[in-house]
Amino acid sequence: MKSASSLGISLLILVLCSGCVVLGKNTEYQPLDPILLEPLVPGQSRAADVCKVLGAPSQVVELSNGNAYVYRRSVTKGTGVWLVLVSFVNGEQQHDHVVFFFDKNDLLTHYGVSLNAGKASYGFPF
Amino acid sequence: MASRSKRIVAVALFLIPPLLSGCITYQLLGGVEGGEISYPSDRLVVGKTTLGEVLVLLGAPDKVGRVNEGDLLIYQRAVLRRNRLSVGIPLADIWRLGIDLSAYGSLVRYDRLVLLFTPEGILSGAAFEKSSDHPYWKAMTSDS
Repeated sequence: MKSASSLGISLLILVLCSGCVVLGKNTEYQPLDPILLEPLVPGQSRAADVCKVLGAPSQVVELSNGNAYVYRRSVTKGTGVWLVLVSFVNGEQQHDHVVFFFDKNDLLTHYGVSLNAGKASYGFPF
Repeated sequence: MASRSKRIVAVALFLIPPLLSGCITYQLLGGVEGGEISYPSDRLVVGKTTLGEVLVLLGAPDKVGRVNEGDLLIYQRAVLRRNRLSVGIPLADIWRLGIDLSAYGSLVRYDRLVLLFTPEGILSGAAFEKSSDHPYWKAMTSDS
């Protein structure tokens, strides 16, 4: 009798947990390799040098004293779990950003780097 | 007699979830865009800190823009939560009418740091908002 109820409980859990799991990943643009940034030196490099190394920027922004070139890469990881009565869906998008600041003569003055795309992870929304 | 009622309960327990599948569903959806945002207020001094120092400290901003008298950098993280409860009987394929009741609530909360700079690249203002700390249910049930 005990084994029958154990079997029943196991089967019930199996029925309630039947469903499907989906894992998805979406990557935009090519990876940004930090080694590529080494030859780019503020005060020496120009906008043309940056474009030669990294290609066309994702965005160009006009600033009060020059321009900014934005290079952006995104990684999105999605997780979905569909059970009989409940479903959980989670998505995480992280970016690699490099923003170059140029003066009015297109001379590189500063740049900032944030490499977080690799930190995107699968998970649950709780 | 007792074993018969147990059997009925067991059969019901097996049949109810598949029968309800598609009729009652609860969905919890979550999403995050961007990394953690911090505001090191002790290291960001208006009138003193430079653009270069901010870029070293915080990395590349999510957005760059120009304002009237200078430039701004925006660091941002968005956190999405959605709950959805749906009750319905999907009869549309066999009968023209169907019954469907659903309720959902979505909330996007932003952590955002906005830094303003003079044309010379000196920090002229800063604003920080961390709304992801607000509890989901409290924010959803608030009138404001």
